[in-house]
Amino acid sequence: MRVLIIEDEPDLLTSLAQALREEGYAVDTAANGDDGLFSAEGTDYDAIVLDVMLPGLDGWEILKRLRKTKKTPVLMLTARDQTRDRVKGLDTGADDYVVKPFDLEEVFARLRAIIRRSANKTTNVIEIGEVKIDTAARIVLLKNQPVEVTAREYSLVEFLALHRGEVVTRTQLYEHLFDENENSMSNLLDVHVSNVRKKLGAEFIATRRGHGYCIEG
Amino acid sequence: MKLFKSIKWRLQIWYGLILVVVLAGFGGTAYQLERNRQFRRIDDELHRRIGVIGNALHRPPMRGPNGGSQPFDRPPRGQFPDDGPPEQNERPPMFREFHLPEQDAHFFDSSDPNQFYFSIAARDGRALARSTNQPARQAITKGAANPFMAVNTISPRASNPPKPVPVFTFDNHREIAEVLPSGETIWIGCSVAPELKELRRAKLNLIGAGSLILLVGLIGGWWLVSRSLRPVSEISGTAVKIAGGDLSQRINIAEAESELGQLASVLNSTFARLETAFAQQKQFASDAAHELRTPVSVILTQTQTALNRERDAASYKQTVEACQRAAQRMRKLIESLLALARFDAGQEILKRVPFDLSKAIADSTELVQPLADERSVKIFVKAVPLEITGDPERLAQVFTNLLTNAIQYNRTDGEVRVSLASQNGLAVFTVADTGQGMAADDLPRVFGRFFRADQSRTGGGNSGLGLAISKAIVEAHGGTIEVVSEQNAGTTFVVRLPIV
Repeated sequence: MRVLIIEDEPDLLTSLAQALREEGYAVDTAANGDDGLFSAEGTDYDAIVLDVMLPGLDGWEILKRLRKTKKTPVLMLTARDQTRDRVKGLDTGADDYVVKPFDLEEVFARLRAIIRRSANKTTNVIEIGEVKIDTAARIVLLKNQPVEVTAREYSLVEFLALHRGEVVTRTQLYEHLFDENENSMSNLLDVHVSNVRKKLGAEFIATRRGHGYCIEG
Repeated sequence: MKLFKSIKWRLQIWYGLILVVVLAGFGGTAYQLERNRQFRRIDDELHRRIGVIGNALHRPPMRGPNGGSQPFDRPPRGQFPDDGPPEQNERPPMFREFHLPEQDAHFFDSSDPNQFYFSIAARDGRALARSTNQPARQAITKGAANPFMAVNTISPRASNPPKPVPVFTFDNHREIAEVLPSGETIWIGCSVAPELKELRRAKLNLIGAGSLILLVGLIGGWWLVSRSLRPVSEISGTAVKIAGGDLSQRINIAEAESELGQLASVLNSTFARLETAFAQQKQFASDAAHELRTPVSVILTQTQTALNRERDAASYKQTVEACQRAAQRMRKLIESLLALARFDAGQEILKRVPFDLSKAIADSTELVQPLADERSVKIFVKAVPLEITGDPERLAQVFTNLLTNAIQYNRTDGEVRVSLASQNGLAVFTVADTGQGMAADDLPRVFGRFFRADQSRTGGGNSGLGLAISKAIVEAHGGTIEVVSEQNAGTTFVVRLPIV
């Protein structure tokens, strides 16, 4: 899962980005509104964490312009907790909001929720055959037994599971699993896929030559 | 006793009392006038009859059937007194007999509702003659000293001889007396019962009409008072709603010209100012809370991330440093808020010491020089030595704040021009930058609390309170601060301080 954080307070931005990376997200950051809108429009993020008060374009304006081209789920960070601010945010097209000061756990949970909703899933658990993926606990179960997976492997499984039945291209996978700072080798993805197949069964991820990967079912 | 505290009731009671007094005065006067008219008419009648009797008395006696008069011993309506016919030799011959002439008989007609009667007494008080219808109690029977008689006089009409005539009124009767030059006294009386009855009717009419007018007046008065006091209830109703917390309420002013209308508009403008002050206060509190949210978020996120797993020392150090920055920012904000609160409450105590303003400016310039170097901004100072009395530290804070703003909102390689001069007994300090200037809409809000030209908070820990505090400090020194700005050309702040 790849997310974009648009936040102008540097200390908040670095710690949020670190925390989300440690949660297994690929994280891009922007410190002002103009950069943020540019990134948001240029990449298919799984979610955007957007601060309202920004130098340059403010959060409302970014949201308004972004909604003309993209349906990326947006979690607003706002320092104003008055109803009209929240209503304004939701009406402008935000998917959810968190009021500052917030707990990281809440940000994580809301982020998971908006990503899940955008993939039309209503529960945290995705079942594919004998494999169960708990997106809240970020664990994978095979025949109800926990399977040890790395954060990157988990992200790969989760992304493919959320797009179950679709063919996901390698480019898409690169876009969603790695952030802009990772100069990843093209075979890194193959390594992750191969590791997942070893742990969950060779048929779990099907390869569509010349197209990409797919979880059937 | 709520009734008597109500203005409405008090007005109504006073109004009613005044109306009663006026009506009673009018009614009483009308009654008195009517009474006087009636009695004057009666008195005129009595006078005429005195003349008639007097004439009849002095006319020589005429005997014989051809005479218009009748003999005294068989008068139609007059007769001898009860004590028998008088002796002929005991009185003057001309009064031996009294004839009421035929043509005068109608004056004493018994069918007249006033029942006129007469009585004649000799000089020595003996009764000479009297009419049959004379009532038992009569003024003459006991002389003028009858205790039941009210003795007064009436002023005769202009045509009558100007001689006061005694008038007696008793038991529904009125009598007058006249002493003839020859010594006899003539009494003429009549019943005034019809007049008294008439007067009683008039009195009842007056009371009835008065009561009706009083009733109409009271109803009208109630209507008037209610009408004129209606704005008061409107005002108090609105005030109650405002006291209840709805500050947006205003008094509906229907009659702006009346005294109450003027009061209402004064109250309305007071309410408006109250509402604005409340809104500002609310906005201020909300802004202050908002300013504190970001540093708290930083501390929470930093510490929660750091505690998520074991980290190396460098990583913990970063976290602690970030927390320190956030805490410093909060401290600065809290200090600014407290300073503003003290200025608002008039509790900020300023030093009053003489010092050289140009030196304070030089110090401030030196302080901001590193920031200017960082942004490649050049500072030019043109200051004359100028001594004023005031708080050197607080004023230095103003200069530093204005200089910092001028550097921060400048373009790279821009200029800041500082000048200090004396002008009309004022120390005039200006700071001009070559930044992008401010929108005309923003200028009135520049000195407001938490105003920021670009809505960002990355302006070097700028809280948005600096200019508000600067304004408070300058004004506490009796000075003024203003701003001139031109878009894309720059902004100039001018501080004027009195030289004391």
